[in-house]
Amino acid sequence: MTQRSRVLAGALVLIAPGLALAKPIAFADGTTEMLEYGAGTMTEAQAFYAPEYNYSVGGGHAEFDSAITPETVRITYARFNYLVHRWNLESAQANVYVWGGAGGATGNTFNGTEATVNAGGQADYETRRVYASLKTDLQRASPFSIRVDTLQLGIAPYEHEYNQIATWFVVQAREYTGEIQHGIESAFLVRFFKGGTWIEAGVTNGGKLQAMAMYNF
Amino acid sequence: MKPYRVLFTALLAISPSAVRAATIEMHVNGLVCAFCAQGIEKKLRKFPATVDVVVSLEQRLVAVALKDGQDIPDAELRRALTNAGYTVTAIERNDTPIGAIRSRVGQAKP
Repeated sequence: MTQRSRVLAGALVLIAPGLALAKPIAFADGTTEMLEYGAGTMTEAQAFYAPEYNYSVGGGHAEFDSAITPETVRITYARFNYLVHRWNLESAQANVYVWGGAGGATGNTFNGTEATVNAGGQADYETRRVYASLKTDLQRASPFSIRVDTLQLGIAPYEHEYNQIATWFVVQAREYTGEIQHGIESAFLVRFFKGGTWIEAGVTNGGKLQAMAMYNF
Repeated sequence: MKPYRVLFTALLAISPSAVRAATIEMHVNGLVCAFCAQGIEKKLRKFPATVDVVVSLEQRLVAVALKDGQDIPDAELRRALTNAGYTVTAIERNDTPIGAIRSRVGQAKP
């Protein structure tokens, strides 16, 4: 086991008692729109509609700019998200999601459009004061295979109410495979949400902007 | 005897609405995030009998104010909360005005 694997395993053990969190499925008859700017390495837009509370359908567009090589990849995909299990505890909620999809990719290191497959999953756990999530997302085609693993741990300075602005301080660790970026990128984020609007922004250990906006309706 | 008859008739006239619940209070598990809980309000406001909805994360409570003389069956309430992604642990009906519930949970009317 490498040191990196040990760090990831340790983090998993820390969040394992509740396991699971942030959501590709909002609620039945709900739509989620999301836009993420990942420190210049990954930019992604997604939109999903959930006919039922346990699945959603939609798609997205992701762009990866390698920090190691001149490679740039653009992927447009359709995706199906499924809530494997939800634990509604008295003062906490935990979730496990999986997803899969397919699409097409263009890039500056190959010609034309390549067919892609997408697979991933997420486990999250939250109370009104603490939050943890672990997400993995794979985009694969014959010229490339990119996987993004993201761990987030959050703490709220106060317990927000339904009609109040929620504030969270989040530490994020992210690792890209597929010659996108070496090492684990860490980021400190501040997250706010009220009603169906969610915004978060912060800075990575490389001094770059990491930001996300999400809207549920 | 006539005043008693008038009083009796008046009581009969108002009693159907007087004994009906004005509010449904539901205790809900998993209610920790306002961003995620908005599906509850969206679902419950779609019922024709709904006048108002109050959600309290602190009290793990969802309250529905009903139109006069109307009700929502428990099965439909449970289905609505399940579809919003939550688990109902108890449903109670009472005559507490929704404004009083809103004050009790410390929320001003939006």
